[in-house]
Amino acid sequence: MAENLWALREQKKVSVATLANRAGLPIGLIMEYESGFRSIDPRHLGRLARALYVDEAEIKLRCDPRPGAGQLERQPRPEREISRAPGAPARSGSGPAGAGAKERGPRPEPRPPAPARPSQIAHVQTLLRQLDLTPAQLEVEVGKPLAELDRTAMSGLLRSLQDRTRDLTAERHRAYLPESVDTYEARYLTEAQAAGAVLRFTLFDGGTDEGQVIGFGPYSITIRAPDGAERTLNKLALVSYTRQPSGAWQKESAP
Amino acid sequence: MSLGDYLRLLRAKAGGITPLEIEAATELPKGSYRLMEQRYRAIGDDESARKLADFYGLPFEDLRWRLDWPRKALSRSLVAVVRQTSPITLYLWNGQTVTGRVKWWDLGADGLETEAGHLLVVQRHAAERWEPLAKEAEADGL
Repeated sequence: MAENLWALREQKKVSVATLANRAGLPIGLIMEYESGFRSIDPRHLGRLARALYVDEAEIKLRCDPRPGAGQLERQPRPEREISRAPGAPARSGSGPAGAGAKERGPRPEPRPPAPARPSQIAHVQTLLRQLDLTPAQLEVEVGKPLAELDRTAMSGLLRSLQDRTRDLTAERHRAYLPESVDTYEARYLTEAQAAGAVLRFTLFDGGTDEGQVIGFGPYSITIRAPDGAERTLNKLALVSYTRQPSGAWQKESAP
Repeated sequence: MSLGDYLRLLRAKAGGITPLEIEAATELPKGSYRLMEQRYRAIGDDESARKLADFYGLPFEDLRWRLDWPRKALSRSLVAVVRQTSPITLYLWNGQTVTGRVKWWDLGADGLETEAGHLLVVQRHAAERWEPLAKEAEADGL
């Protein structure tokens, strides 16, 4: 025998919210079903039955009002304020024709451009000092008073000033310091090695050595001496070295 | 030769004692010795120079004056003479004095064109002092 939805729910000790959650239906709809305000939609019957672990046939399609509970009355929804264009027709009811004709109000007026931030103005002043420019000179370049620039325009101006400052600082502060690598010495030694040139080394202990470069690294140079012996010189033990005139070694080493 | 280069040389001569061992023996703050040896600018003060001089059994002044001739100061002078197209004179560790125009320099060496027209490659750590001595503002302002 079929039972009222609210009776089954109370038997199962399930709240309306839990039932709604389990069945995936709105709470308001469940309450309407339970009050008998409307019949249970057949499409929802299966969901409610599964949520309550009962057969569909056990649920009455239209509930009897719960004893002591008043009839649930649908309250009229408040009319939503819709701004309409002047002269536009009013929305007529909630019928299919009305639902399709969704109206939108006119687009709001675009916001006026935001004024420049104080931090932007301060930054411009700093950059002007670095560029040795006055605000008046910059205004001539820009074509309008700086006070009239909005945030976007000020941002663009800052970008261009920063580029100019970067060029300037590169010239002023970035000294020619190729010290991150041993490029030049390595290039010199590579050329000397490729050419088979003889280098004469002056050592820290006052001695000298000479030979052809057959290899080198960041901390040492390996040479082949005239007698064919190979020696690795630690750069820490070197003072300087220079290339010997070509032919000098061959004469010396010739038998 | 900068204090950093000199310390590196002393450490090598001492058989490669580690920076940590030196710090432990001299009670220098952790990591400070490594900075003194590796950094291009002058790191350290009279007290640390004195501790290290005692450690190696050297006169204090032998280390102290090198603090005023850091690698960075040599770079400044190299920048200045290149910009001014003037020669530089290097007073080397072995007592030699070489003068020439700077053709190039990098992390480890300077290439000087001598008056005879030869390119002499001088190891940077071998330069004890040099002339002209450029001030920081001079090199930067060029």
